Amino acid sequence: MGSTNVMQRIRDKLRDGEPLSLEDGVALFEHRNLLELGLLANEVRERLHGERTYFNRNLHINATNVCEASCRFCSFARLEEGKPGAYTMSHAEAWGKLQARLDARDPITEIHIVNGLHAGLPFEYYTELLAGLKRLQPSIHLKAFTAVEIFYFHKKYGLPIAEVITRLRAAGLDSIPGGGAEIFAARVRKKICDDKCTGDEWLEVHRTAHRLGLRSNCTMLYGTIETVDERVDHMLRLRALQAETGGFQTFIPLAFHPDNNALMKLPGPTGVEDLRTYAVARLVLDNIPHLKAYWIMLGVKTAQSALWFGADDLDGTVQEEKIYHMAGAETPQAMSPNEIVRIIRNAGRAPVERDTLYNVLAEGEALASDKPFRRDVRRHALEVVP
Amino acid sequence: MSAGADATSTSSPAASEAPAPPVEDLFALGRRAAAARDAALGRRGTFARSRRLLGSGAWRGPRDASMSYVEASDLPALGGWAAARAAGAAVVVGADVATLRELSRDGARLVLRTVFRSGESEDTRSGRLRALAACDVALWGVIPTPEGEPYGLDTVRFTALCRLALPAACHVLADVERLGPRLAQMCLGFGADELLAPIVGERALRLGDNANNPALTRKEAVTLIRGAGLVPAERLLNDALEEVT
Repeated sequence: MGSTNVMQRIRDKLRDGEPLSLEDGVALFEHRNLLELGLLANEVRERLHGERTYFNRNLHINATNVCEASCRFCSFARLEEGKPGAYTMSHAEAWGKLQARLDARDPITEIHIVNGLHAGLPFEYYTELLAGLKRLQPSIHLKAFTAVEIFYFHKKYGLPIAEVITRLRAAGLDSIPGGGAEIFAARVRKKICDDKCTGDEWLEVHRTAHRLGLRSNCTMLYGTIETVDERVDHMLRLRALQAETGGFQTFIPLAFHPDNNALMKLPGPTGVEDLRTYAVARLVLDNIPHLKAYWIMLGVKTAQSALWFGADDLDGTVQEEKIYHMAGAETPQAMSPNEIVRIIRNAGRAPVERDTLYNVLAEGEALASDKPFRRDVRRHALEVVP
Repeated sequence: MSAGADATSTSSPAASEAPAPPVEDLFALGRRAAAARDAALGRRGTFARSRRLLGSGAWRGPRDASMSYVEASDLPALGGWAAARAAGAAVVVGADVATLRELSRDGARLVLRTVFRSGESEDTRSGRLRALAACDVALWGVIPTPEGEPYGLDTVRFTALCRLALPAACHVLADVERLGPRLAQMCLGFGADELLAPIVGERALRLGDNANNPALTRKEAVTLIRGAGLVPAERLLNDALEEVT
């Protein structure tokens, strides 16, 4: 089937609300006209969210980078305490990150916590970490511990997954971040992250969390050794779980950063590949409401461009991001709300400050930026071209 | 190559705060620009091994480079264009139209940095580019150059405007050093036809102080161009193009 026919078939399916197949997803990845793909993804994005583009005010805490796993794409982890670069924060240090923001009257609504798989810490380290943060700011939303960490707790402490989540929730956990999914395909996991939970186990943690009433996000690491079939397969497995539970809020494609890790010979994805991946994700994942362009690792320029290729969220102000910066990310470690608002407006989009659960906190005139700038875009109906 | 002020600039802070008129849809604009590039120059993305003549008289870049250029700002230190040409330079890169106009009479191949600023209206930019197209300077190419840190969408839109406003034969170069490889590659989808980057023999290890090294290997340049859906070609001496298969 020719490229024009394939795109027309996919366009028809999208119009009729029919989910795309593995074959469709692969065809989209292989379609050479990026703007054609972007146009389709943008139509879906605007149907779902109009011009709205979300961000939040958040803080990242990576309490330890000591990690039993040895993922080949990771630049953050250190195998043992005492190795160069290894660290584990005391509770006081971790809580101090939030206290500093409170002291600076720099309000945040969310703390994102992701750590290494530390063999020497008791479960209470994590529950007390959460509880202490809640004591400092009871209203703060704690989005903490990837499914990989929760599965590790399950194995290490001999607790059922549901019990791990229930105890963390009692300590203050509000939702679960999407990290650690990498690529579900066993072939790829065997080569790049053989010593942590499988794709099925990752999905089971999120299934359990959703059944317990928690929301979560989901991710996909792309640009290592996976094929486009494996990327689409990954998306379809997320879509299937979402059809079952409805608990995912946001899908976040994560571009592989090739510096300082065992896969540094790989080139990493290009800008066009980034935009293509975002566009395909928006089209395939029709039941996951949001698509996040995580500016920390995409870079601000690419993240802003992704707002026209399916993405509707730029993540947050972020502070103290370590995981991608240790992998060579050259982005700043934080952006002010004004900077984010300006970037979104410059893209011709309408910024919306949200909380973690996508409740709207401020939009329109309530969101000041020191350089207000808004573009109105004249629409054109475009035909499918090969 | 360093960015400088564009003598054709007309924007003011007051202008940038005025409500902007509607602009063309990103995808329509991009497709028009890409089609214009394809019609004028073929569905091809090029790169060249280049070397730069510095103000000190030394060269930076490989001896066998196919493009030898000098920045207009270095010409006074070199003793003018005649001296630079005698040293081997064939191309002058600058941001000032008046300076380039003078040099065009002396047989230099001219590449202009077309500077744009965040917050300018698209009308302002288009007007400036139309004025440039109407002036009597034969430009071999332009380099869309953001003032300050570029926004992604600003850059690809301005690239497309350059392609559409300027004469068909004028090359639009995506500056890898200034934009980064990701954004430079995106510009190829919006009408740019050449990647401007130091082309080196071995891949740079982008660590520490070298983290922002813009140098590309030939293979990396080819990958970026092919990934943008274009046929990669190397610009050789005397402008011969060799497609990379």
